[in-house]
Amino acid sequence: MIQLFHVSKTYLPNYRALTDISLEVKRGEFVFLGGPSGAGKSTLLKLLFRQEEPSEGQILIDGKNVTRLPSRQVAQLRRKIGLIFQEFKLLPDLTVLNNVALAAEVIGISKKVSRAKAYQLLRELGLKERYDSKPLSLSGGEQQRVAIARALVNEPMLVLADEPTGNLDAEVAEETMRLLFKIRDKGATIVVATHDLNLINRYGTRVILLQRGALADDLKLASWQENGK
Amino acid sequence: MRIALVGFVLRRVHHNLWQLFWTHVLTCGTVAMTLFVFGAFMLVEINLTHLLKDWGEQIQLTAYLAKKLEPAALQALLKRVETLPEVERVRHISQEQAWRDFQSALGAQSSLLEGLPRDVLPASLEISLKPARHDGTVVQQLAQRLKEEKAITIVDYPQEWVEGLELIVLAVEWAKWIFGGVLFLATFFIVGSTVKLAMLARQAEVEIMQLVGASEELIQAPFVLEGMIQGVVGGAVALALLWVGYLSLKNETTSLAGFLAPLGQIQFLDWQNIALLLVIGWLLGATASVISLRRFLKTWNSSRGER
Repeated sequence: MIQLFHVSKTYLPNYRALTDISLEVKRGEFVFLGGPSGAGKSTLLKLLFRQEEPSEGQILIDGKNVTRLPSRQVAQLRRKIGLIFQEFKLLPDLTVLNNVALAAEVIGISKKVSRAKAYQLLRELGLKERYDSKPLSLSGGEQQRVAIARALVNEPMLVLADEPTGNLDAEVAEETMRLLFKIRDKGATIVVATHDLNLINRYGTRVILLQRGALADDLKLASWQENGK
Repeated sequence: MRIALVGFVLRRVHHNLWQLFWTHVLTCGTVAMTLFVFGAFMLVEINLTHLLKDWGEQIQLTAYLAKKLEPAALQALLKRVETLPEVERVRHISQEQAWRDFQSALGAQSSLLEGLPRDVLPASLEISLKPARHDGTVVQQLAQRLKEEKAITIVDYPQEWVEGLELIVLAVEWAKWIFGGVLFLATFFIVGSTVKLAMLARQAEVEIMQLVGASEELIQAPFVLEGMIQGVVGGAVALALLWVGYLSLKNETTSLAGFLAPLGQIQFLDWQNIALLLVIGWLLGATASVISLRRFLKTWNSSRGER
């Protein structure tokens, strides 16, 4: 599903955020992208959904080289990717239902169908009673579930989550992770970027460790998972 | 664009117009003022041209005749002048007739003429031109030809006056484009700034739309449509103001008489000019918003690393 070949990213004038990253994530896989703050996790995610372009190397998503896509095709790519952020990125003046439906409406699905799909998802995520509320009246966990519903409304093949539990307490974080695993079970590929070692160690799934913008070897990974260093 | 997307864009436009209602009202007002000034110049130009045409059609040449012209020679002269291609009608004013006309023109002061010989005024020919023969050069050439007649001493026509008016029309036309141009430029930036304000107010929404895969066209369409609406509404307001101005001016000028009488029949813009004004408003709104939007998105996207 995801293939990176010798990918580097340098920010002008001379800050190297990623160095020579090559990796592969298979379809239906659940992967943690771990590492301390500033390791390059968010930059790597941005390259995957083409918010940024790599300075060197090639990136393939679902077999398609996304390294230098024209903007029209960037939009097409993002329709296949569900994005979840630490800060939720919900629109405060839209209702919960409209926040979720917006993602479907902008790709040409009718208002009626978009709202029906959004409602169905909110029901599945236990937010049926809150569909008409404004996001700011919801708890952090509820807001993150709305953001997840928005990420799922277009049935993406890939979900990228950047510190999805960063603003949530342990119990709600656990619940959010369970949701992401459920999405994986339905066939989507999931990449979760996090610096939370406890979270990573709890699930025993594949971990890609970034340190100072480079991929860490298995030894470093074992040491990081053990000591957090 | 799919119908569902058209519906989406229209809903966004409706929402956005209300969100920044007073900003949009002010921008519409600015567009309206610009188009009002431009339209006012158009009105003046159209009516001056109309006036010029009206006066031009009334142009008569007066050819003063040498004294003691034999009747046979006069008849021959009349025949020659009548057959000229530019001439519609020739009227002979005898010395006696000229004297009577002058007397009646003086009215109560006609006693001033007492003691003067009755043949003091020369006989003349009043020559009316055919329609579409009022062009300055044609009139000048005809006058020249008439002067070649031995029996004609002086040829008089109000050409300089007409030419002066033509110059005024030309000046109005230039002023329209110069003033209009400066105002268009200012309005262009104001409409562009409104779009920027709208973008800033909806930055979060635009960012989310980009992240969930909305096309650039879909993101930009509501802003461009808002610019167009501002332009057309501004144009419509300008036309309404011009109409009110026109009506009050018409009331003031209906009582004018004499050579100013044509001013009493001032005209409003014809449908082509009305359409032109609306199209200019529409274009102004559309281009200002497209250019401002592209510039804003370019800066904004590159500041976020987005390409």
